[in-house]
Amino acid sequence: MLKTLSLIFILSFSFTPVIAQENAENGKALFETNCVSCHKLDKPSIGPKLRKIRSKYEDEWLLKWIKNNVEFRKSGDERAITTYEENNQAAMNIFANLTDADVLDILAYTDTEPEVAEGPAVSSEPTFFNNYTKYLLMIVALVLLITFLILFRIFKELRTLRRKQEAEANGVTYEQAAQSWWSKNKEKFIIVNPTITVLAGVTGFAALIFVPWFFWFGINKVGVQQGYAPEQPIAYSHKLHAGELGIDCQYCHSTASYSKSASIPSLNTCMNCHKGVQGTEADGDNINPEIAKIYAALDYNPEGKPGEQYGPNRKAVKWVRIHNLPDLAYFNHSQHVKVGGLQCQECHGPIQDMEKVYQFSSLQMGWCIDCHRSKKIDVENNNYYEKLHASVKKKLNSVDSAEYKKQYFKDGKIVITPSMNGGLECAKCHY
Amino acid sequence: MKNIKKLLYLSPIALLMVGCAGGNNPGIEYAPDMYDSKGYEPYNQLDSNTLNEYGANVRRPVDGTVALGKADYAYALPNTGEGYERSATEVSMPAGLADAECEGKRLYIMYCSPCHGVEGKNDGNIFKRASYLKPGAWGDGYQNDYIKNLADGQIYHTLVYGKNNMGSHASVLTPTQRWQVIAYVRQLSNGNVDCDGSVVVSTDSVSMASDVTAEDVQSEVSDSTKNEEVH
Repeated sequence: MLKTLSLIFILSFSFTPVIAQENAENGKALFETNCVSCHKLDKPSIGPKLRKIRSKYEDEWLLKWIKNNVEFRKSGDERAITTYEENNQAAMNIFANLTDADVLDILAYTDTEPEVAEGPAVSSEPTFFNNYTKYLLMIVALVLLITFLILFRIFKELRTLRRKQEAEANGVTYEQAAQSWWSKNKEKFIIVNPTITVLAGVTGFAALIFVPWFFWFGINKVGVQQGYAPEQPIAYSHKLHAGELGIDCQYCHSTASYSKSASIPSLNTCMNCHKGVQGTEADGDNINPEIAKIYAALDYNPEGKPGEQYGPNRKAVKWVRIHNLPDLAYFNHSQHVKVGGLQCQECHGPIQDMEKVYQFSSLQMGWCIDCHRSKKIDVENNNYYEKLHASVKKKLNSVDSAEYKKQYFKDGKIVITPSMNGGLECAKCHY
Repeated sequence: MKNIKKLLYLSPIALLMVGCAGGNNPGIEYAPDMYDSKGYEPYNQLDSNTLNEYGANVRRPVDGTVALGKADYAYALPNTGEGYERSATEVSMPAGLADAECEGKRLYIMYCSPCHGVEGKNDGNIFKRASYLKPGAWGDGYQNDYIKNLADGQIYHTLVYGKNNMGSHASVLTPTQRWQVIAYVRQLSNGNVDCDGSVVVSTDSVSMASDVTAEDVQSEVSDSTKNEEVH
């Protein structure tokens, strides 16, 4: 009896410190390095939500599961196996590096109450005030406009009345009086007044030059979409993704190096990151409205049960095409990206700085030809041109032609441009 | 008559206003059919297609069919925990995988480094900004035992289906490219990065020969153009 009592005493003694030492602060730190990639406290993520997880499972079970769930499942624990199946067989990593105390700290953190959200009441007042000011200004403007219109009308009526009276005093009708005034005064305006004649002449001469010039300018803009920057269904920022995060263009436009088209990424590419990233720092815990559009198009429920988040009602995102060549011209991305080794920016401009993409180049034929004439092909470090380079060198060595050398040499170095490799042939692009 | 004259005066200004592209206005075209053609073209569609799903002109391949030369896209293991475990033993790097041009490194930097970092230390720009995405079990990078103990097949399985926060990269990497990336990840993991064709296993096998890779397309294109130059 005494033995049992003492055992209980020792046990209780050995347990109390552990409980007393549970440190939710440390748990929070551990949670944020180890767990946060798969678990959130209040929302299901890759794994289930963890707030108050202790009410569902006892500590002993959780310790075993967290430290090595694979062994635990192999040991045949029924609840472990059902938990695994319930969560879409997403195998949790093994955390052998965590001590029992660490795990208890984390569990203590999951027991903490959620932080009460800041009341929106604070922000509602300025909004109301702003709206109030806006409406007040609009009403004042409207009143002023109406007053102005009424005064103008009154003034006009009074003037007509006065002229009518004057006409009647002279013994003619108002219409006659108005006509005779014009017939009396028009010569003064057209011929007699030299200032007006000169002004009219200058205007006419300017019109003669500028009207055709405007016409020429306008007509040259037909079919040129340079500067076109349409509103897209999702306000995707190239500045953020390509600029600040430095993601390679071809991560999303993955076929640019081996296809005619550079390809618009399908939404699964977006979800590679946006399964986890639901907003910027500014969005806090809310889902960014633009990212929510991706979820809406995929019928994806970020708070759904793992494995059942994608619904059946998917929609296509109708991106607006910006760069569009007419059917009469052929363009192939792979030729330029993979073979020519061009950077995307050479044609598409500073994409990494564009919040909203616009067409940087004119895409006119002259623009193509300019580059095909002037761009130097890097023949030395490009397997694609091995044969061309070899044949040019062979020819240069065998044929002692000054004209030939003039064509291919500049400052003693071989210079080859696309134009020398058939880049100006009509049928290369028009067929 | 007066109206026609007025129109004539206004026409250049109208042309200037309509012709200049900017904002939501694409400008005007001489022959709009040449830009938005009646035939189906990739990434060019004005009206919703009434026959296909999602109103798109493109269609998904018929279920159960394989495009010519793309047999290696077929992947038998399911996207389940069981499939992941089986991939460790049932999927392995094909013999004869050659990467003479450091394609694995190029692809790694393109597709993996935004998160996992250029040196595989999980210090890419995205992980830096959104550190909650970092894998908890191996936050320090590929040198962690977690990756060293991972089978090639498991990495392949992860590339195909994605795992946890990582999405599937099957749509951007061909099977050959996936293995080239894995070979490079192994180099980063072991700390001996040597990107001069050292990952060549052997060249007898032709198991991957049927796959059309970027290099094949390139060499095909280059051959034809080179011939033009020679003749």
